[in-house]
Amino acid sequence: MSEQDPVAGGGPVVSELPSEPPLVALVGPPNSGKTTLFNQLTGLRQKVANYPGVTVEKHIGEVSLGGGRTIALVDLPGVHGFSARTLDERVTRDVLEGKVEGIRSPDALILIVDVTRLENQLMLVEPVLEMGLPTLLVLNMADELDARGGTVDDEALAQRLGVDIVRTSARRDAGVDGVRTYLRDIADGGASGAHVQRELSNVPTSISLPVIDAFAARRKLVRGIVEESDFVAPDPSELTERLDSMFLHRLWGPLIFLAVVLLVFQSIFTWAVPLMDGIDWMVGTSGDWIVGTLPDTWYRSLIVDGVWAGVGSVIIFLPQILVLFLFLGILEDSGYMARAAVIADRAMYRVGLQGRAFLPLLSGYACAVPAILAARTIDDERDRLATIFVTPFMTCSARLPVYALLIAAFIPDEPVLGPFMSQRAAVLLGLYGLGIVAAIVTAFLLKRTLLKTKPTSFLMELPPYRIPSLRTLMLRLLDRSKIFLRRAGRIIFAVTIVLWTLTQFPRTDTGPPDIEQSALGTIGHVIEPVIEPLGLDWRVGIGIVTSLAAREVIVGTLGTIYGVETADEEAVALQDVLRRDLEPGAAIGLLVFFAFALQCMSTVAVMRRETAGWKWPILQFTYMLFLGYGGAFVAFQLF
Amino acid sequence: MQFSVVAEPDQSEDLRLGDIPMRQEVELVSIDLPVELAEPLLERGVLPGCRICPVRSSPGGDPIVSIDGSLLALRRETADCLCVKLLSSLQDAG
Repeated sequence: MSEQDPVAGGGPVVSELPSEPPLVALVGPPNSGKTTLFNQLTGLRQKVANYPGVTVEKHIGEVSLGGGRTIALVDLPGVHGFSARTLDERVTRDVLEGKVEGIRSPDALILIVDVTRLENQLMLVEPVLEMGLPTLLVLNMADELDARGGTVDDEALAQRLGVDIVRTSARRDAGVDGVRTYLRDIADGGASGAHVQRELSNVPTSISLPVIDAFAARRKLVRGIVEESDFVAPDPSELTERLDSMFLHRLWGPLIFLAVVLLVFQSIFTWAVPLMDGIDWMVGTSGDWIVGTLPDTWYRSLIVDGVWAGVGSVIIFLPQILVLFLFLGILEDSGYMARAAVIADRAMYRVGLQGRAFLPLLSGYACAVPAILAARTIDDERDRLATIFVTPFMTCSARLPVYALLIAAFIPDEPVLGPFMSQRAAVLLGLYGLGIVAAIVTAFLLKRTLLKTKPTSFLMELPPYRIPSLRTLMLRLLDRSKIFLRRAGRIIFAVTIVLWTLTQFPRTDTGPPDIEQSALGTIGHVIEPVIEPLGLDWRVGIGIVTSLAAREVIVGTLGTIYGVETADEEAVALQDVLRRDLEPGAAIGLLVFFAFALQCMSTVAVMRRETAGWKWPILQFTYMLFLGYGGAFVAFQLF
Repeated sequence: MQFSVVAEPDQSEDLRLGDIPMRQEVELVSIDLPVELAEPLLERGVLPGCRICPVRSSPGGDPIVSIDGSLLALRRETADCLCVKLLSSLQDAG
């Protein structure tokens, strides 16, 4: 990247130590290419955190502008307005007004809009300009405007609004240098330092009654601006029209929808496999290498049997998670996800949810935590509560290690329904289905009891179809793998160490005790009576307890328990010992238990924050635990 | 409590967006919805006086409309709350 200037050249008066770089906020409606531009500017130099108090993801990055100059760029959630009706809108508004702890009020703004829909997108321009900050208007998707025969007079628009204007096609990295030039000017000006709280004035809110007048006035203003700058709207996108006539077709639409969902599931269990085998090989080989390198002491067992095997058994599922997130990313960035939400809305509406719940629920297949956060875009509070209540029923990727282990151990790899699906895939699909059914029934009950509502509305903007930006996809994948590995690295690392320690005490004359006599074994035996009706023994009991931290921990736990137990004999694969120890019915019961029970403290924590209290998370945890226990009991009796 | 966001009192006819055939552009007259349901529409430019055109229907039978070059999916229940009028004969030919 850029070299640091050792000697400050002819910059402006350097009177103080270089303090914090200026902060620029990136504002824009959803689907305007905001995040793509953010990624182009910051690349890998970005951090994701949460805003204090709320769980809105805060994306802050550093833009290096040469000559040692940098600015901090914050990517705000995409919003249509600042009425603070949704959490995203509230956060955007608070950041702009400088009311968020830990973030200075911005020194300058970048408003990015999709220029092909200029009139629609400029509804944000008036409140943004009223902030009185230096503002750059980015007309994104300029290539699309040209290609579809639209025009706009940038000069006139810039003059009319009194701001700088840059045209970009952020996906192709075109025009982004213009944005950098603007940022360089801001950087040279330095941070204003003044912590001024500005108000977004004239924000129509639900409280001020003549809402419609305020919007109508704003609309009129925008129309005037657009006309004065000779905006000629582009022709409708032919590609979008052609694709929509297929994807939203009465018959083909739902079929394609189902095919997409099936493709996602099949691929995470086929495409990811070679990568997983690779990781497995690496963990195994490096474990052997460590055994060969370290002297035969007590800590060799901790490192190899505890930490290495435990963390390794979880890292192996990284490829599956990445493939899943890659698919979700492509679906979302291409514009298909919005269509999927529309297709899903009718069915969701019948259940008591709405189409917007589709994205959180689909994200729930990766992880319930970001999924519950994604539900913030649901403007109706009761719809949102019902959605996040049932989201953990979606088969998250943390369940996959558990499913994969038990399915591989107990379900034969034989074809069912011809060559297209194996029995294993069918069982997996069944478990996904079980989660869906539980979610539907639960949502249906909730909306008729605790969360009774008047009918709500559903509005979904359908963005033009676009080829997803590779960079944005890759950065998101990187982001997700970091989060996953941090989980593996922290929670699972800690749990494996505690577990290993519990297996080492009370010490006997000859060293560590038999696993059954150890402290861990004692804990397992205390639990055993409770899970005995499910056909499970104390070993699985320990796994169920430790997997409260995170579901996938049970795999590492069982690995530790059996690994330690059989440490002196030849290494037996976990699957083989499980087959020896569990009846098939109990294994299926355990699968059902994990399909239903809320074995995830992160979800409980997020629920507490998102619902501002303990009522919902406690209700949810208890409900899902009973469902899991009951389901496992029934399964054990049936099979 | 429920109050309507109505720009003007009822006009001669009571035509709803849900009744409009595909590809016929109409003008929005009023939104017969409580404020909290109307606001998201307003923010997306669905305001009295705007031109709106149903372009497609979703597999579930809900309308997808075009407004200012954006595609917006509604529920038919919502479309039935949007009062519209046909454009007069002097609508632009282009």
